[in-house]
Order: sequence, then structure tokens, then C-alpha cells
Amino acid sequence: MAVSLRSWVANEGGKHLVLMLWLGANTWLFLNTFLLFSTGQQYHYLYKMLGVGVCISRASASVLNLNCSLVLLTMCRSVLTFIRGTHVVSSRKTRRLLDKSKTFHVACGIAVCLFSVVHVSAHMVNVVNFSSRYSDDFPALNLARYRGEDPKWIILTTIPGVTGVLLVLILLLMLISSSYCVRMSNYEIFWYTHNLFIIFYIILMMHMVGGVLKYQTNIEAHPPGCLRPNQSSTEQYVDDLEQLEDDDSRCKADAHFEPHYPQTWLWVSGPLCLYCVERLYRCIRSSAPVTIVTVIRHPCDVIELRMLKKDFKARPGQYIVLNCPSVSSFENHPFTLTKCPTVNKETFGIHLRVVGDWTERFTQQLLPQSRMDLEILPMVQQRTYPKLYIDGPFGSPSEEVFNYDVSLCVAGGIGVTPFACVLHALLDGWRGFRLQRLYFVWVCRELQSFYWFAELLCALHQKLWEENRPDYFNLKLYVSQVDNIQSISEERFRPLSSRMLVGRPRWKHLLDEIGKSNRHKRVGVFCCGPKGISRTLHRLCNSARSRGTTFEFNKESFS
Amino acid sequence: MGKIEWAMWANEQALASGLILLAGGIVGVAGQFRGWEFAAYAVAAGVFVCLLEYPRGKRAKGTSVERTGQYCFTVCVKAFGPLTRNYYVRAFLHAAICVPGGFMLATVLGCVCLGIASLIYLAAAIRGEHWEPILPRKEVRKPVAESIKNPPQNPPPRPPPEMRRKQAKDLESAAYDNPIPVTSDE
Repeated sequence: MAVSLRSWVANEGGKHLVLMLWLGANTWLFLNTFLLFSTGQQYHYLYKMLGVGVCISRASASVLNLNCSLVLLTMCRSVLTFIRGTHVVSSRKTRRLLDKSKTFHVACGIAVCLFSVVHVSAHMVNVVNFSSRYSDDFPALNLARYRGEDPKWIILTTIPGVTGVLLVLILLLMLISSSYCVRMSNYEIFWYTHNLFIIFYIILMMHMVGGVLKYQTNIEAHPPGCLRPNQSSTEQYVDDLEQLEDDDSRCKADAHFEPHYPQTWLWVSGPLCLYCVERLYRCIRSSAPVTIVTVIRHPCDVIELRMLKKDFKARPGQYIVLNCPSVSSFENHPFTLTKCPTVNKETFGIHLRVVGDWTERFTQQLLPQSRMDLEILPMVQQRTYPKLYIDGPFGSPSEEVFNYDVSLCVAGGIGVTPFACVLHALLDGWRGFRLQRLYFVWVCRELQSFYWFAELLCALHQKLWEENRPDYFNLKLYVSQVDNIQSISEERFRPLSSRMLVGRPRWKHLLDEIGKSNRHKRVGVFCCGPKGISRTLHRLCNSARSRGTTFEFNKESFS
Repeated sequence: MGKIEWAMWANEQALASGLILLAGGIVGVAGQFRGWEFAAYAVAAGVFVCLLEYPRGKRAKGTSVERTGQYCFTVCVKAFGPLTRNYYVRAFLHAAICVPGGFMLATVLGCVCLGIASLIYLAAAIRGEHWEPILPRKEVRKPVAESIKNPPQNPPPRPPPEMRRKQAKDLESAAYDNPIPVTSDE
């Protein structure tokens, strides 16, 4: 389907603008530093010795400085949650850009790797030139100890060389273990190698110590290219001899060289401090353990956990990170909140699906083991729940559901959890929000999964009908497994069974229908589910709509 | 950390090292630097490592994602039988291949990366992992579960109401074990 310009700009415009700005900043830094080193008077002698290699290496170093600092800023999750929540950034468009912080982090990381390759290659050429073009005129400028020194020794015996080798190794380890298949199969390998970034930054701050590249400080006294008092220029013609007597072309003093002030500290220390402060804050905030109030087992391997924590505030759509030391001391797992604490009721809850070894072991500790002997009634025993720590809450794209006039929430399977929190908030009080209409599409493989939130959906439906707003909440349930068709038989879940369809939804028709009833409006589309659904929806949101409705796509992913 | 499959990471690392070794070797030969014979060796070694490591092995648990077009490589690597199945052999092979790369500046990075890959393969071998080829196979349909025939007539025995009611003041000690397992009815 054709991509409509207006829809594309509404959906993709902001992201691409930021991308262009970032590319522009990188290009400007690169060119600026390149020109500085190739044409600057204070680098004249350095340029003569090393050639274009020094320009490329310094230019790529300045790009690396920028990207190394940006990479850290995108990972300060509490800061981003704060920016999202306080509406300091008042435009919804700008808040939407915060959703892409992880993608931006990956982009900056790839830029760091690419420009490191450029930087290392240029410095290899520099090292060879330092050795072969050893300067006898300006001994202070040299890095090699004598002409023709083996470049390998130059690298291994200087601080920038050794730190550079270590930095490249760590960077390579981090890059290779961040690949998609390693993250999907063994997340811990990715996490532990990525935490080597702290060593990377410490070594990076030491990388410039030693002052390898020097600039000339006394340009007025010794203009570059001037002739020494006892030196004659053999290229001059005889009739230009009187020019040689000119004072300007004679050196008044010897060239004096100073090493650079390390710029990396200026770029990197700010974001690094901010990140460390944030980690400390998160550590302190999560040090109080939570009280587990209830554990409920739901069909299709889902456990609901209700908890209580002092001074815990969260908004619908946010997620928390769980850490249970008795299961695993270092693993942290994110779960979306399905019920936020309110003024009346302070408990909050999550729904977690048991897939993977951590959730299995966690569930075993929460629920009682099955008893082998059922003839003798065992005594009721007190149960102690394991100690649990939570970190968060952190922001997510689903927080924006209330800030559109019309929203469409598409959930696939367990992806319904952020929207469950939204529905709870609506049940508490639906009048206070900007939201006027909510379309809710939930696609599940099995019918049993709908029992996770059947009561919530029916309660909300009932409340809105009683308060005379039946068009506020539009529910559509889909069971995608077409064989072995069942139906919800309970009478109290009538609203669900009459809105359930078998088979996969037809997204184009759905969006057309929503567009017809909401002309000239901006509809927020929120998708939390498998990649197939989100890709189709994204493409449809970007394509042409004939009724004047714009669909803004927001995706929440669990990986 | 018990269930990590090291072989997947070792495979990625070894493939990347093969590419780096190849690139370093090409640069060394093209620039005719001192010791360019090592660079020529690195080109050949890099190609060999890439060919060996391109087909991904099957994961013990979970879905295995193939690399594009890896089927013919899988068949070739499978033909060597126990030599390619065993990760000890791969670990020592990579350790041996990487050593000559350390003598020239252009290939030293590939050498170190391949050394790291060899160590990870050693860890995988110690854990008892081995390489299984990913071959296309027919899916077996799961048999449909039996429906419940006889629901129980009586409710399960429960402790008296005073014990069941949650004490609002003391939530931690109000948790108890149900004698018979109870699942939510919703």
C-alpha cells in the first residue's frame, strides 16, 4: 500500500529529524577537526610529519567523544522516566521520541565501533610515520625514540598504545555479545559483558595521558615554515634572495610544543557521573523489600502477584524490575505493572508468564508444592514468601494512551499487561482524562488466556454502560487457534463471549472502521505483541488513509 | 548461570574473529608490510575459520535461528563427523590457528579475538556441549488433550474462616499453604 506523506511524517518524522541532527553533528565535528589539523598553523609541523593520518585520527576521535557520551545518556532510565512524567517536555511528539532511546543507544554504539576502526587504522599509519619520518629538527615532536623504531614497540610501550589495545578488545567483546542471537538465547552473557563498559570508560579517560600529539604554542615568534638563522632555502631562485633578508621569514625563536589537554574528560565525565548517580539512586530506592500480599495462579502458566511497598507510586503503563535473591542474586527481570497503587488501595500487581528458568524457580518458591499423599489431610502450614526487591517504576510508551482523544490498544497474548493497568485506571475514574474513546483488541492463541482479565473487562464494560457511555470502550477479542473451538460459557462473562471472534484479525479493515468513525482525528495506536502484528500495524499506520484520520504508531516491546 | 549455552557466543565470536583476521590479512598483503607472509597465512586462516563457523549449531533448549543459506555449509561441516561435533577439537584448533597471526601488527587483533573464542569453546566443551546440525524436519502435531471427564462433587476441604481471613495488620504471617492445591476459578 502506498505510503502517505502526512501519515509518514506524523509517524516517522520526529525520529528521522533526530537522526539527521545526529548525523549532522557527527559530520560537522569530523570535518571541523579534520580541517583544524590539516590547515591549522599550530599543527603545521605535525601534519608535515604524519600526513593525513593525524587529521583522520583526531577527527574520528572527536566523533568518538560525542558518541561515547551520548551512549551513556540514553541509558539513564530513571532520568528518562522523570522527563516523560513531569510533562516538562510538553509536546507529545517529543515524548514519543523517548520511546526510541534504546534504538538511539544502538545507533551510537555502532557509530563508536565504526569510528574506532577508522581511528585505529589512522593511528597505525601514524605510528608507522612516527617511526619512519623521525624528525631531527624538532625532537620534541617525536614519539619514536629513534628513526626506524619498530612500530609494535611504540604501541606497546606508550600509555595511549596499551590503553588503545585494551579498549579495542573490550569494545569487540561488547559488540559481539550484543548480537541479536546471543541476546535472545543467553541474555546473561550479553548483560555481563556489556557491564564491562565501566572498565572501558575508566581506560578511556586514561587514554590521552602521555601527550602523544603536540601542538605548537609560539606561532607569532616562530611562524611555521620560517627559516632558521643558519638555514638557507634551496628552492628559492637567486633573484628572490632579497626576500630572504625579510624579517618575517626568519625565525625569532625555536618552535615550542605542548601536548594537548585531554578533551575526552570534558565530554565523558558528565554523562558518566549522571549515570553513576542514577544507578546509586536506583540501588537505594530498591533496597527496601516488598511485601507479597497474594499469589494467584491463572490458566496458561500465568501467575499474578500482588505486592505492597511503602511510598511506591506508579502511573499506568510503567514497568518494574524484579530481583529475588533466593532465586538468583544478579538477575533482574522486567515486568509490566498490571495494577498501579491508588489513593484507596495501595497494593500493586504484576502478571508474569512462566517461561524460562528464572520464572519457573520463582513460581516454585511462591506456590506450594503438589502433595503426593492426598488421603491424609495435612495441617495448614504457615508459608513464608521469598524476599523480593523491585526497581522502578520505569516509563514506557503505553503511558500515552490517555493523552490522545482516541486510542487503539492492540495486545497479543501476555502483551495485554500494560493495557490492563490502563483499564484499571479507567475503572477507578474515567472522566478525568483527555481520552474519549478506547478501542481494545486482544489476540490470544487459546481461549483460556482471556480469563486472566475477564473480570476486569466485564467490570469496566458494565460501569461504562451504567454511566451512559457505551461507546467509550470498544472491545474485540480474537482467538487465533482455529481448531478445537470453544467459547466462554459463564453468564457473567457474556460481554466477552459476544465480542469474541475466531481467527486472526484483519487489520486493514479494523483501521478503516476506526477511521470512519473518527474522522479528522489523531488516533494513537499502541501495540504490544509479536513482531508480525506490530510490523503490519506500523505499515498500515504509515500508509494512505482517505478519511483524514492520522494513526500514530507506538510500540512497546518486551525484549 | 547454570543454563547458559556458551557455544552460541563462541560461534559468534569465532565468526567475527575470522572476518577480522581476513581483513587484517588483506591489509597486510596489500600494503606489503614487513612480515606479509603472516598476512597471507591470515587470509587463508580467516577464510577457513569463517567457513567452519558459518553454520550455526542447534540449541539444546529453545528455537534455533539459521543463518541465511547455511544449509550447504551445514552438510559440509557435518560430513567431518566427530571432528566438528566435539568442541574440544574446535577449541584447540582455533588456539593453534591464531598463533601465527600474532607476529604481524595487522593481524594481531584477529589473533587475540580468535584466542578468546577458543577459550569460550573450551568452556562449552567442559560443560559437555556439542555441535548439532540444524536440518529441516517434519513437525509432529501434538495430540489433543483429553477433556475433563468427572468433575469433583464436593468442594476441597479448607481451614476454618478465621484462619482464612487475611489479617490486615500482619500481611507477612497471614500467608499459609492450602492443603489441597486450589486454582483460580476465573
